Amino acid sequence: MSAYERVKQWNTFARIWHIYDAKWQNPFDSAKVISKHIQGLHKPIYHPLNNCGDHVIVFNSRHIALPGYEWKKRAYFHHTGYPGGASWTLAWQLHEINPTLVMQKAVKWELPRGLSKFGLMARLHIFPDEEIPEELLKNVTSQLRQLRPVPRTLDSYSDKEIEEFPKVMDYPNDYILK
Amino acid sequence: MVFPTALLLARTPNPDRFWKKRKIFKMSAHFYGRSRNCYSIAIRSVHRALQYARRSKDHKKADSIALYTQRIRAGAEEHGVPYVLFREGLTRSNIMLDRKTLSDLAAWEPRTFKSLTEIAAAKCIDDNIVGSRHLEEPKYFFGRDMLKRFWNR
Repeated sequence: MSAYERVKQWNTFARIWHIYDAKWQNPFDSAKVISKHIQGLHKPIYHPLNNCGDHVIVFNSRHIALPGYEWKKRAYFHHTGYPGGASWTLAWQLHEINPTLVMQKAVKWELPRGLSKFGLMARLHIFPDEEIPEELLKNVTSQLRQLRPVPRTLDSYSDKEIEEFPKVMDYPNDYILK
Repeated sequence: MVFPTALLLARTPNPDRFWKKRKIFKMSAHFYGRSRNCYSIAIRSVHRALQYARRSKDHKKADSIALYTQRIRAGAEEHGVPYVLFREGLTRSNIMLDRKTLSDLAAWEPRTFKSLTEIAAAKCIDDNIVGSRHLEEPKYFFGRDMLKRFWNR
């Protein structure tokens, strides 16, 4: 095997580290993309027995956006095994306890059922904020595109930008603003 | 063979029985427990095993198709072309490659596969297929028809 071919083979079988900014993203849609990369389904060399999945670092998981009334309506079920041990935790309550859990469970549900789930979940690294350990960050070579644009709040616009924003019309001089 | 009475004739075992059983035992040789050596159990297990083998012939084809599809999808999405549009574009361009060939190209001939995605994307944009507005504009023109249409614009 020539040197070029060897490097090509290394690159093909190397484990890539992807990074994903979860800010204002739907965790359930994001989980589909993330689980695909964890399993290696995005590679043409994929095979169920081929250990070709990548690592994914998800940050800003505290700032995810659930669709509709999901924060209030989505309940996470847990049973201790004892009679009367059932408990339902709403998504907003779970998020207050641990801001990575909603994202983690979303990815976990997307992965195929079975024992391989443990190994696959080990390749997912979720961080609630923008602080990521340096030893993980230095592995990153790829960024996953966000699924939807992050909306800007009104506070984030400067006065100059608001002034320069195109207007349909000017208020007449005798118009009294409430 | 001499049979003094009809009774003994009935009691004589069929000379083929050994070979008949042996045929079954050869097929049950790798089974576990009594289904390997006890004929009445072995034959039931062998019948079931043959049924499974027949069923698996269909499963193997379906599984291969699913795997090829997944590989082609991965290769095509790498170049920003969804699988459905990729196959549609190829079909309309009269490139009749099957899934196995395409998945082999995706893994072993990535440059060839990339040019195939470009052809498919160009054809999809040219024919204005639903979903093609998200595709990238083709850099090249493939075929005489596309070139003609380009000049007539």
